[in-house]
Amino acid sequence: MPDRIKNDHTSNGIGCNEFDLLLSDALDGVLSGPGLDRFQAHARTCKTCGPLLEEAEAGRTWLKGLTEVEPPASLVSNILASTTGVDTQRLRTMTRTPQPHISWWEHVQASYLEPMWAIVRQPRFAMSFGMAFFALSVSLTVAGVKPRDVLQISLRPSAIKRTYYNTQARVVRYVDNVRPVLEVQAALRGIKRNMNPAEPGPSKQQKERKNDTTQQPEQKQDRNYSQTGEKLILAGDPLGPSNRDLPVVSVTTYRRFV
Amino acid sequence: MEDVQVVAMLVRRCIAGDAAAWEEIVQTYNRRIYNICYRFAGTSDDAQDLTQEVFIKMYRTLSSYDASKGAFVTWVTTITRNLLVDHFRKTKQDRMTDSMDSTASDHEDAQPLSEQIPDQSAPPDTRVRQRELSQTVHQALGKLSPELREAVILRDLQDMDYKEIATALRVPEGTVKSRINRGRAELGRLLQRTYRQVM
Repeated sequence: MPDRIKNDHTSNGIGCNEFDLLLSDALDGVLSGPGLDRFQAHARTCKTCGPLLEEAEAGRTWLKGLTEVEPPASLVSNILASTTGVDTQRLRTMTRTPQPHISWWEHVQASYLEPMWAIVRQPRFAMSFGMAFFALSVSLTVAGVKPRDVLQISLRPSAIKRTYYNTQARVVRYVDNVRPVLEVQAALRGIKRNMNPAEPGPSKQQKERKNDTTQQPEQKQDRNYSQTGEKLILAGDPLGPSNRDLPVVSVTTYRRFV
Repeated sequence: MEDVQVVAMLVRRCIAGDAAAWEEIVQTYNRRIYNICYRFAGTSDDAQDLTQEVFIKMYRTLSSYDASKGAFVTWVTTITRNLLVDHFRKTKQDRMTDSMDSTASDHEDAQPLSEQIPDQSAPPDTRVRQRELSQTVHQALGKLSPELREAVILRDLQDMDYKEIATALRVPEGTVKSRINRGRAELGRLLQRTYRQVM
């Protein structure tokens, strides 16, 4: 094309540059009269512009034969989603149908309850609730609680008050009954403590054994001999033979200190 | 082509936040923009992406549209054209290895151009032949340089007048005419050569 313009020549009163400018008008059919005649005459005589007209005409015909392509069905909704973030169907519903008046309860239901219910309906949550219910029912059965008993509970204020006082009296009675037992247990524990001094910690014993380089056998082997020591000590016990049944372990520990 | 006042009203409503007005704009122009993108980019996937990009850009810059400066469709076409040029620059490297036998379209049957020549001696079906012909022209269109391609698309496929094209492409009207002539001639030459090879 640039070569063609460079070698511009005039024939039939029209140059190649002018021909180029008139070409689109001629193809569009807006060129008429003497201008068209001159244009056609130039096309017939010029070896460059003649084929150009032919090719341009053919190209235009090809292009005019192209039909419009149908955009994908999802294109509009994709565009709306990427621009406004609103789905087309929802948008259409919002704009073309009047909004009905809703009560506060319906609002709460739509805003809070339904989303929560949608979560609860998920299989994993349903499974969890099922397991929790199963565990609860097993626990109640083991504990001897029957659902029938729960249903018979009276929720009247006077009944609740009576239940409260009954429960309190039961607790007080239990504490009163258990007190002598606790006192005896405390006395025995005190006696035991007086008899047995504090034992060294096991870690200390382990450490001593590790540092032992005397090649002596372990004290574990001497455990039988400790029985003698026990008897000797207990012989001087003012409490008498009742305390001779004290655990052997404590005596063994004592021997190690000796 | 468009009622200026109606479009101006739509744009004002969009700027005010009316989602329905924006949807109307999308419904009105998506086909046109998609077709420009499809003919320029060559593939359906690229055309979809580019169309979405055009609308996203339109949505963001809608307030900058000045009805006194030109028609809305020209403004839309300018945005489309600018994005197409950007896309062309970005994908320039990918097309370096393209040849006439490359498969450029996934919208239609992925066949090389030389294999898409219609068998005129024994056409199996007129519709199929027409479709194949369209594919051939579409592929040949993709072989034009972007300047010529955009000019012929806007003129011969979108029926825009020279003044509107000149505004959209930001070049003088004479340049537009010259590009259209050269584009048509190159396309004609390319298709005639292809057909001669087959004949």
